[in-house]
Amino acid sequence: MNAPTPTRKYDLGFARWVRDNIDHAERMNMCMQCGVCSGSCPLRNEMDNGPRKTFMMVRAGMKEEVLKSSTLWNCVSCYSCVVRCPREVPVKYILHGLLTYAIEQGYQEAQDTDNYKFASAFWNVAAGSGRVDERVFTAKFYLKYGIGGLISKGMANQKIAMGMIKSGRMPLFAAPHKIKGKGDLKKILAKAAEIEKTKHASLRDGER
Amino acid sequence: MTAEKNIGVYLCSGCSIGEQLDMSTLEGVAGEMKAPVCKSHEVLCSREGVKLISDDIASGDVNRVVIGACSPRVMTDKFWFDGTHTVRANLREQVVWSHPAGDEDTQAIADDYVRMAITQAQKTDAAEPWIEGEYSETIMVVGGGHVGLTAAREASRAGYPVVLVEKAGELGGSTKDWKKVVPSRPPYREPEDNPVSGLIAKVKGDDRIRVVTGTTVAETSGMPGKFEVELSNGSTESVGAIVVATGWRPYDATKLGHLGYGASPDVVTNFEMEGMLASGGIKRKSDGNAPKTVAFVQCAGQRDPEHLPYCSSVCCAASIKQAMQLIEADPDVMCTILYEELRTPGVTEEFYRSAQEKGVVFIKGNVESVDGSLKVTYHDDLIGDDVPLEGIDMVVLATGMIPNSTNPDGEDMDLEEEKQIYIKDDINPAAPFDVAGYAEGTEAPEACARPAESIPGGSSILNLRYRQGPNIPILADGFSDSHYICFPYETRRTGIYACGPLRRPMDSEEAAKDAAGAAMKAIQVIHGVKAGRAVHPRSGDLSYPKFNLDICTKCRRCTVECPFGSIDEDEETFPQMNPSRCRRCGTCMGACPVRAISFDNYSVEMLTSMAKAVEIPDEFDEKPRVLILACQNDAYPALDMAGIHRHQWSAHVRAIPVRCLGSVSLLCISDALSVGYDGIVLMGCKSGDDYQCHFIKGSALAKERLSKIEETLQSMMLEKERVASMEVSIADSAAVGKMIDDFVANIVDNIGFNPFKGF
Repeated sequence: MNAPTPTRKYDLGFARWVRDNIDHAERMNMCMQCGVCSGSCPLRNEMDNGPRKTFMMVRAGMKEEVLKSSTLWNCVSCYSCVVRCPREVPVKYILHGLLTYAIEQGYQEAQDTDNYKFASAFWNVAAGSGRVDERVFTAKFYLKYGIGGLISKGMANQKIAMGMIKSGRMPLFAAPHKIKGKGDLKKILAKAAEIEKTKHASLRDGER
Repeated sequence: MTAEKNIGVYLCSGCSIGEQLDMSTLEGVAGEMKAPVCKSHEVLCSREGVKLISDDIASGDVNRVVIGACSPRVMTDKFWFDGTHTVRANLREQVVWSHPAGDEDTQAIADDYVRMAITQAQKTDAAEPWIEGEYSETIMVVGGGHVGLTAAREASRAGYPVVLVEKAGELGGSTKDWKKVVPSRPPYREPEDNPVSGLIAKVKGDDRIRVVTGTTVAETSGMPGKFEVELSNGSTESVGAIVVATGWRPYDATKLGHLGYGASPDVVTNFEMEGMLASGGIKRKSDGNAPKTVAFVQCAGQRDPEHLPYCSSVCCAASIKQAMQLIEADPDVMCTILYEELRTPGVTEEFYRSAQEKGVVFIKGNVESVDGSLKVTYHDDLIGDDVPLEGIDMVVLATGMIPNSTNPDGEDMDLEEEKQIYIKDDINPAAPFDVAGYAEGTEAPEACARPAESIPGGSSILNLRYRQGPNIPILADGFSDSHYICFPYETRRTGIYACGPLRRPMDSEEAAKDAAGAAMKAIQVIHGVKAGRAVHPRSGDLSYPKFNLDICTKCRRCTVECPFGSIDEDEETFPQMNPSRCRRCGTCMGACPVRAISFDNYSVEMLTSMAKAVEIPDEFDEKPRVLILACQNDAYPALDMAGIHRHQWSAHVRAIPVRCLGSVSLLCISDALSVGYDGIVLMGCKSGDDYQCHFIKGSALAKERLSKIEETLQSMMLEKERVASMEVSIADSAAVGKMIDDFVANIVDNIGFNPFKGF
């Protein structure tokens, strides 16, 4: 699944490619730019473009800008847009489809969002050990902001951390949580990646 | 008419008239006015009440009837006595329903209204219709395109013979070869087959339709029911009515250089695109390859003050249709429609959705330029940036519709020459609002400003031999219509109906409905004029203006001011009436400075006598009298409506309904002032560009004339504030009472009583 690399900033072919290749995007062309999605979005202020403008940018063929956009990461799947869209465009699903494609294409680094940093740290820990240990995860997450980030964010959350330690929610010296059969987890994840590659589309239709 | 005028006055005491008024006083008024018969009834509109009247008519005691009951706008069917002149006094809506009960002032209004109605009956006669010579029932349709074919077919299906005149060598018009049209039937999702070829076959196989191709109209003279049309092939047709369906032509794309037309052969218009779609394969003109990426630029030279200021209303759907056809032929073709506002009204929205589902991409943006390499640059409002689109193989410009209100293939009208042929010395035939043509020394109103370019080039379609010029009036943006919301198909020339894109931009489906409407109008007028009846808006009126040429001063105001071009001039420049062209508004009567024009049942004398019939209290009573001349179409109904809603207004006013404010002569006003009225209100419809006047310019003319009355008032030593014009619509019933009260209060408080009282 590879979009044609545009030779220009604006490439009309991108809209059609998205329609044919991104999950659920076949209804994207029904968008009439009314803006109900962006107006309903509780996270609109955290997004650079918002769903409406993202769709317009797809039509204008602005592939790079769309895939680098923070809009894709900051959707929290509240479904307000999907419920309210007068043209029955599955907005949230399309944004997630675009996001999946952006990750595949390695655009995530460009999307300098807290959500990306949080998600990647979370995934890293969860996929590595099968469990999310508060200490490891927090450290990895803060480190995404660099050493300075680790220190400043760590200091800022000191009070919470102390509370958790006192109530026994976060042991200071015990080894991080692990699961049994980590090898099996790796197999599961490998299988999932394989399925995603081959028939992810049909699987996700089932989800809907 | 019978020499003796035996007036019967019939008063109704129903609908609370009897409770609020003293009926015996009213009967006394009738006696005072020497009406030989006066009877009251509790419910005059009942079978018994009507019988009371018809028995008196049958016995010969009464030959004109005055009914003092409800408004003349209601119960017209009950109070209709064939051949007997009937006059109504409005005692219900405008007396008892709008004024306090048992008040002496309320009684005074009722008394005056009975006096006025009896006077009206004395001064007028039942109208005798104008019927003369032979009438033709043939309908001529000019234009053999989709609209003309439909009009001809509809008229024929209704049983009328039709002559269909087409300029080109064959029928079909501009859409003849098109493959598909915008859908007209549910589910409105796919382009439909073009119906024109089927229509042509039906018209050709229709015995009642005679088709004349390769022919234009050389000259049209006469009037509805009796048009004589000379064709360019030398033959002459006698027809009863004319339907003009000359259609449209595309805007000249060579003026759209900024959109790349001419810079690249691959920038084409939507009209050219239709041609390509009709002939099969779409090929780029530059290299003969099939385009893979096509951009449609909407509103090309439209809604643009430098080109067409209006929206042609069909191009959005047309581009959608073309894009669908392209995708249908080759699913890989990428179609992008660049629009400012996509206008797909009504069910066309379904067509738009269908195109979206098929993958046509819609981009909202203002296209700024298209260059020779087909780079389309547009400002995307939704992204907020200028966006250059490259890699496009073909650009389609959605150019607009221009009405064929003239024949673009003909020579430009030489107006000077036109005058020599027919138009008397000084009228400009191309300027319908112009007021040239007034005789020297006559005061002419100011002309409406019309930009020179609004007069289209080309030759006249009908070449009317009318004093007001060869064209049916060409109005805003070159379209021909009377008032397309209120009076569709009506032109300002009676018996000639415009339909289709000649009236306003429209698609073929709408135009077909229009054609049917115009054909029905044509049938209506043919039947109307045969019986001497007027057509819309005074449908059924039998009266018509009669000219007393002995006193005519040949000032030509009537021939110039007639909104419908009814009056020509003879060799000696006397007015020459064409009665079946007339719509009976009386504008000529209001224009005439010497009262030479009157109707059987409506005249300046009638109006002034009615005004004078009112008893004017002297100054010491401190009761002013204000005369309202109210237009029957909107102002008088607004007063009635106010009464129905029980709104009250000053008891010092007396209203006379007039056919149109255009029929009010300044003589009525000066006469009324000279008998002691303290103020006069001309109450009519809205004038101006968004006029509501049923006779187009009646209220504008009244205003114009009023602006000239100041001098007259000065010579009478009267204040100009005594005479006012008010514009009301039928919906103003809640406000009209206050307007009247304010006017009366201003007279009483600020101006004082008329010094002519008692003379």
